[in-house]
Amino acid sequence: MLDRHSTDARPSLRLVAPAELEPAVPSVAFCSHCGTRPSTPTEHTAPGSRVCGECGLGLILEAAEDIAPRAGDAFLVLDRVLSVCAVSRGAERLLSTTEPVAVNRHVTELLMPAAAEEKRGESLSVAVAWAARGDGGTRTTTVRPANTFGIRLTARIAGCGPPRAALLVLE
Amino acid sequence: MRYLKTSEAAALLNVSPNTLRAWERRFGFPKPQRSPGKHRLFTHGEVAALRDALQEGLSISSAISRAREGLAADANSLVGALASYDRERADAAIEAALALRSVERSVEEVLLPTLDEISRRYTVESAAWAFAAHWATDWLRRAIRLTPPPVRQVSIVVGDASRDELDRDAPYIRALELFCVRAGIKVLSLSARGVAGIGDAANVHRPNLVVVAGGHLDDDTVARWAYAIRLAVGAMPLAIYRRGAERPRTRVTGTAVLPSGAGDAHRTLLDLLESDHVATTPSASAAAAGAHVQLRSASRSSP
Repeated sequence: MLDRHSTDARPSLRLVAPAELEPAVPSVAFCSHCGTRPSTPTEHTAPGSRVCGECGLGLILEAAEDIAPRAGDAFLVLDRVLSVCAVSRGAERLLSTTEPVAVNRHVTELLMPAAAEEKRGESLSVAVAWAARGDGGTRTTTVRPANTFGIRLTARIAGCGPPRAALLVLE
Repeated sequence: MRYLKTSEAAALLNVSPNTLRAWERRFGFPKPQRSPGKHRLFTHGEVAALRDALQEGLSISSAISRAREGLAADANSLVGALASYDRERADAAIEAALALRSVERSVEEVLLPTLDEISRRYTVESAAWAFAAHWATDWLRRAIRLTPPPVRQVSIVVGDASRDELDRDAPYIRALELFCVRAGIKVLSLSARGVAGIGDAANVHRPNLVVVAGGHLDDDTVARWAYAIRLAVGAMPLAIYRRGAERPRTRVTGTAVLPSGAGDAHRTLLDLLESDHVATTPSASAAAAGAHVQLRSASRSSP
């Protein structure tokens, strides 16, 4: 039982030493359509422009290096209400759709949760909502293409931006 | 209305002209018009809206979607103004649309969709439709009057087969007339009911093509009108517009069925006028000879 008069038991702020923090994962830039990573923010883009100079069909976003896609990867960018905001070229091929068609649709029109039998899998919608809200870390879940059974894909989900959104990389 | 060349629009968006052309192919936006020299001309309003949307976008598609939504707001505000019988607000809404688009696109993307929405929401028997149709017809006629005199040596006669200005087809017919007049074509629009004296009118106007527009009048009435013109000025190509025969048809004798959209119909009409088919009358004579039969068959096949 806590002693109410004891100063040790009272909640208090404590200075955390830098050594105790998790090492910060550097963020890298990537194109929201082709996935190309410009090594410097202005390498492929005109000064002041966010448009990818490589493909011209995507905007340059940033994400943590451990999840940021590479050229040709299949990934989606989703907002906090689970609407599709961007579809990579790889995801267009994988899901048999095009970005202009998929944008503004609900993610479940492209991907369905398939984590029922996954003990460690997280809910797709929760993972996306947390990531789009800016919660750190990468979550993993299992999905399948909508209206397609028998195919399961691992989805890694983390935040990206700006503006703040969720990045869902399919593997 | 301010227009930008491809290089100017690309500079405003901070992209290369090739990227801008790639967006036009993939997304259909921004949608340029063509200058007389066939160069792209982008409206400043569209490019500026896209530039703003790109600042906050996650992809080109979502930015374009957002820019389109912003531009669609004009149609919504015009629907609201007309549904509340507010002429001043309606004038202001179409003026706002004109600030971002050409006259043709304002009519195609704002005015006509607004009328479609009002007719769908309130039906054509409603007071809201009566007000909207009257306002739209008035606006289109005023726009026709304000257009500079025709510059081409091409003229058409439009046989208006709609009921009156409350006919759903009437604004589309006025829009087609406006587009033709703005393209420098001399347009004579007459009711297809009036056969008496039509020969004199046709002799004065000397049309290169006759358009029968609207689906209210029956085939016999329209055919009598077309035949009276043929008697006066000889055989000529005939096009039918919004007579209920919108599905693709094989043209065998030269009677063209124009698409139901005013802009598409205008472009098809320009192609018809510029084709050799119009200039060379031998095939055209066969067309006009079969006009009566074509009108009947086209209307009979309509739903």
